[in-house]
Amino acid sequence: MFRYFVCFFALTCFSFLGYANDNHSDFREEQNLYGKIYNAPLGIVGNNKVSSVEELYNQKPLIIALVFTRCYGICNPFLLQLSENIKHLQSNSDFNILVISFDPRDNLQDMTNLSKQYGLENNLQWNFAITDSIDAFINSIGFIPKWDSVIKQFDHDALLVGVNEKGLITKNLLGIRIVEDVHKMISSINNVFTPSYRLPTKSNIFSCFNYDPKTQTNRPGLGLLFVALPAIITFLIVTIIVIKSKRTVS
Amino acid sequence: MNIDSLKLKKISALWIIVILVLFIASIVLGILMRLNQGKVIEQSPLTFYTNMTTHGLTMIGIWFAAGMVAVNYLLQRYVKTSYGVNLFAFILTVIGVVMLWVTTYAGKFSTGWTFLYPLPFRDLGSESWSTPLFLISLTILGVGWLVWSVSLMAQIFKKYTLAQAFAWQHFKSNPTVETPPFILITTVTLVGVIASLIAAVIVIVLYFAEYFSHGDFVNDALLMKNLIYFFGHTIANEMLYLGLAVIYEIFGEVSDRPKWKMTWYISLAWNCAMVFILTAFFHHLYMDFVQPQALQIVGQLVSYLASIPSAAVTVFSIVAAVYGVKVRWSIVNLLFFLGVAGWVIGGLGAVIDATISNNIMLHNTLWVPAHFHTYNAMGNVLFSIGFFYWFSTQYVDKLVLSKLTKYTLTLLIVGGIGFLMAFYVAGANSIPRRYSTYPVELTSGPYLAKVGALFATIYLIAILIFFYNIAKRCFVILSASSR
Ligand code: HEM
Repeated sequence: MFRYFVCFFALTCFSFLGYANDNHSDFREEQNLYGKIYNAPLGIVGNNKVSSVEELYNQKPLIIALVFTRCYGICNPFLLQLSENIKHLQSNSDFNILVISFDPRDNLQDMTNLSKQYGLENNLQWNFAITDSIDAFINSIGFIPKWDSVIKQFDHDALLVGVNEKGLITKNLLGIRIVEDVHKMISSINNVFTPSYRLPTKSNIFSCFNYDPKTQTNRPGLGLLFVALPAIITFLIVTIIVIKSKRTVS
Repeated sequence: MNIDSLKLKKISALWIIVILVLFIASIVLGILMRLNQGKVIEQSPLTFYTNMTTHGLTMIGIWFAAGMVAVNYLLQRYVKTSYGVNLFAFILTVIGVVMLWVTTYAGKFSTGWTFLYPLPFRDLGSESWSTPLFLISLTILGVGWLVWSVSLMAQIFKKYTLAQAFAWQHFKSNPTVETPPFILITTVTLVGVIASLIAAVIVIVLYFAEYFSHGDFVNDALLMKNLIYFFGHTIANEMLYLGLAVIYEIFGEVSDRPKWKMTWYISLAWNCAMVFILTAFFHHLYMDFVQPQALQIVGQLVSYLASIPSAAVTVFSIVAAVYGVKVRWSIVNLLFFLGVAGWVIGGLGAVIDATISNNIMLHNTLWVPAHFHTYNAMGNVLFSIGFFYWFSTQYVDKLVLSKLTKYTLTLLIVGGIGFLMAFYVAGANSIPRRYSTYPVELTSGPYLAKVGALFATIYLIAILIFFYNIAKRCFVILSASSR
């Protein structure tokens, strides 16, 4: 009997593990939330006072845009939309913007040219920058550009990252977004509550439920087994005690 | 006096003194919190939250331990219990509590007693070493209590079969063996205590795993909340059941009435309580939108099923024991009687809050501290102080209802009710719980907090008098020799 129970228990564990691993959804905006951004040293166009990401977010919460200057694709429309959105915000002074290149070929002159393209070279809120620690920086964000050697371009997301004054990532926005979304990001980096839920990632294997965005269903995860575990272990302890005790019933 | 029973008396007396000292210190913290909320004193939010965390954890710890001390002491009437394990639990409890206070006061650990995920990993103004030390202190407390509970359970099963310990034979008519209600309730409660402590162990392991993985392993917030309330809600209820076991055992004898007998409905009610209490914690997650609806409905149903049958049979038993007959009233049975009233009133407040449609209004308001303080400060505490009195007067003095005792009891009732009413009225007015200072919009918050502080001080005076009376006798027991 005990053997059957152990087999059943082990089988249940494995099938839950299978489920949990299958069902990691691809809601990348929710990943890496509340992690600390890597404090990369920065070279910033026209700004010699600030030399690191930490110094920037210590001044004010930060919106980070990841681009490269030789980009033929999304980078330009993405930056254009961002600058338009920022202009349309009613209050746009309680944060700074860091536009950082993830292409090691870019230098300060390239970034200066980029800033001039948008007429932002003298705008103190905008910081166009390069860093020599780009790998550690993008790793801390979970941003993974792929180099395509045929077209000599990076295949990458248009990603905005919101960082609060403590350097914690509080919100990500993927793609070209409307002003309301940017507004939500600004609230979140200023520590105003915005509802969000961190979805399971590879580092989070014990979730209670796994939401599948394709079918919009919630499937039980391995974590649920953990909720039942105290009762199961107690049952086992009581069973063992009862079996082991020499009963001297009067 | 037999050497074994003297050792048990001494360790019980030591427990009682330590518990009461910690109780007084924790009440002072409670009063400081109410004074701060009432703007009578000004403390930083960090100080408020360290006070709140220390107060909550210490109170839960000591009143759980008080129940275990009483049950361990009375269990000796039926089975042999281990002095060594009792002492081991005492030593680990003292070490754990000292470490806990160091964590909160030197380390500024201030997550609240539920240490909800991910608060221990957040920078709340605490020292970086405070989180691991906090987890270690919980481990020490958990190990001590788990070993103690398993040891008591093992002793019960040495004498009673599984069916007898759970009084299942009483479902049939004319059972050949009678299980004392005390044994049934103790067994049922120990099952819940062990389950809740195992939940705590799992939570601690998961916290440590995340702490040491440096980001490679991240916990699921929903899982952590479920497990933390499995531990917190269950242990907070089980400690009340320990107190009730004591009442079933000695209410009759201190009142010159027959001992309470086991019946099929007592057996059924407590077996229900054992099963259902393990899932009642789901009612703490009504506001968690990711928890499936089915579990929310289970939460509401089992909240009723766990509490109503056991409350009904206990109230019936105690009313039947005193109604229309001559009872020898003493401080002990008066405290028991009042305690059952406090337990039932607080329980009603809890059931109201555990009903989903009400929880939408009452969730995280002061209604929550209102009901749990009712069945703790005016319920479980009275069960245990009743036991402490009974225990101490058994060997030194006689149980008499003096004038001073009557006045003290009056202070306790007036202080307790006033303190609780300030919570209830604030809760009904949607004043939130766990606020160190109330925003200006909540005008009644500070006023009610001042009222609460005043009445809590009256309650404290009564407790100080009880402490003096009980502790002086416990010291006599401690200095007694076996000759
Ligand atoms: C006269 C005695 C007491 C006073 C003055 C007192 C006062 C308080 C206050 C002011 C709070 C914070 C309420 C808020 O959320 O704003 C609190 C919380 C709490 N109290 Fe008491 N209390 C007393 C007795 C007890 C007893 C006997 C227990 C026994 C278990 C207890 C357990 C707790 C717990 C668990 C919390 C929650 C802490 C948290 O939210 O982390 N208290 N108490």
